[in-house]
Amino acid sequence: MIKLSNLHYSYGDKEILKGLDLEIAKGRFCAVMGANGCGKSTLLKCIAGLNTAKGGRISLDGKDLAAYSTRELAQQLSLVQQQSHTDMEFSAFEIVLMGRNPYQKRLQNESEQDWKIVEECMKMTNTWGLRFSKPHEMSGGELQRVMIARALAQKTPVMLLDEPTSNLDIAHQMEIMQLLCDINANERKTILIVVHDMNLAYHYCQELLLLKSGKALYYGPMEEGLTPERIKEVFGVEAEIYQKNIFFRK
Amino acid sequence: MNRKKDIPILAGLTLVLLAAMLLSAKIGVVDIGWAELRGSAVFWQLRLPRVVLSVLVGSALAICGATYQSVFRNPLTDPYVLGISSGASLGAAIAIILGLHSYLWGVGGMALMAGLLTMLLIYKIASIGNRMHTTTLLLTGTCFTFLAGAVISFLMVLNQDKMESIVFWTMGSLGSASWNDVGILAPVVLLGTLCVLFYSKDLNLLLAGSETAKSLGVEVEKVKRILLFATTMMVAFAVSSCGVIGFVGLIVPHAVRLLTGPDNRRVIPYSIVAGGLLLLLCDTLARTLMQPAELPVGALTAIIGAPVFIILLYKNKKQF
Repeated sequence: MIKLSNLHYSYGDKEILKGLDLEIAKGRFCAVMGANGCGKSTLLKCIAGLNTAKGGRISLDGKDLAAYSTRELAQQLSLVQQQSHTDMEFSAFEIVLMGRNPYQKRLQNESEQDWKIVEECMKMTNTWGLRFSKPHEMSGGELQRVMIARALAQKTPVMLLDEPTSNLDIAHQMEIMQLLCDINANERKTILIVVHDMNLAYHYCQELLLLKSGKALYYGPMEEGLTPERIKEVFGVEAEIYQKNIFFRK
Repeated sequence: MNRKKDIPILAGLTLVLLAAMLLSAKIGVVDIGWAELRGSAVFWQLRLPRVVLSVLVGSALAICGATYQSVFRNPLTDPYVLGISSGASLGAAIAIILGLHSYLWGVGGMALMAGLLTMLLIYKIASIGNRMHTTTLLLTGTCFTFLAGAVISFLMVLNQDKMESIVFWTMGSLGSASWNDVGILAPVVLLGTLCVLFYSKDLNLLLAGSETAKSLGVEVEKVKRILLFATTMMVAFAVSSCGVIGFVGLIVPHAVRLLTGPDNRRVIPYSIVAGGLLLLLCDTLARTLMQPAELPVGALTAIIGAPVFIILLYKNKKQF
């Protein structure tokens, strides 16, 4: 369980998160949405331990986040970011193998088990065929699947994803979301994902966290949360929901 | 991917290196016959320390280059291009003027402080967020090299009795190598090398970016600090013993990566041997090519290194 209480964060003078209270139960698949600059990515980085909160606290399974070592945290949380680095010369296999780092001793070689887990995760994400490819030889969707495979190889109970589907075409966006849905269902992982596409989130995610200027406007089931009124309040656009599809008016 | 095969290859290469060292120490203005080797003062007191020092310096620079390239995530960096070598050389020159060379670690210690200061400044100037901006990084390095060179020439004019030629400091020379130099440098290189080898897996993860590395369990800030300190220490002491020798740290890791791929657990060990071999070769050529005159060894490494740098710059053009 992830618990945030009165979480504050600011970049310099600019306050981004202004007192966030939230409890996300185990095994949920939750979309984090909100207008640009409302603190979605900042929140994700705070939970991932990359940003240190300026006030309030975050706890993971009842233990304060700061009490985890970097290594322990990497066994609890995995992170997939928006931009993956394409200038690396490592093969997809080696990249996924990096996900095993939190379980290896520093001078230890990868074990049989590590290799098996990597193969399993790559097969699950349909990237096994790409194992010898380098990032610059892959398409955006393929690379993102490799990054998800790496996060899977970390064997963490919680997965955090920051706009993994931006820059992808609709078919690949749906493919990634379906993959995450399956991971959520089969592996019982808690998944927090920042998405921009409302329809995509609406179709695939059970829960919604709606942020507005650094605070949680809504947290709960997706269907009840994403209403035309709230869309208007957060994004300032007129929307209509018809047969489980969101339409926007010009 | 199988690193077990590396051990016999590395052992073989080390044997080649040792043979090359012996051969190099044999030739020169006076060729020494096999029979006379044991009793030859030229061999034991002049050539052998020089040969050993060239290997130590070459290995150290190559390791530092490989480390910088991963830490800064930039293929164009090495101690020379970043200006660390020049910064350290300024420190060493000041130490000599202050008379610190009578202390065992005096010159190296001062060079280390100047090197660390340079590193800190470059880090502050060129980092934007958690990524280093390539153009700023290279320009800052170049600027430091000019600045250090200029200050050293001033110091030399003012202290002509104490200083060796400017060529020594800007182009490097192993001509004054002694067992004393080897004794000071060897433990530093050994310590630094072990440190980099210990963290070589973390170096791989750093290549994926600071945030990613941290989310994969690397204590990024701590590891970076340790590695930058260890490498700057090696550079500083290498520079104190033989001046600024450029581009070794740039060429060697790139050449090695062509054969090993990007895994630093392979790149670092191969760079140790290859770096030693390259500088040994360059120094041997420097003292034999135009005998009895001696070429500055840094000029030779630059002749090989500068074109490599330009090719890399061209290949990476898209990224800037």
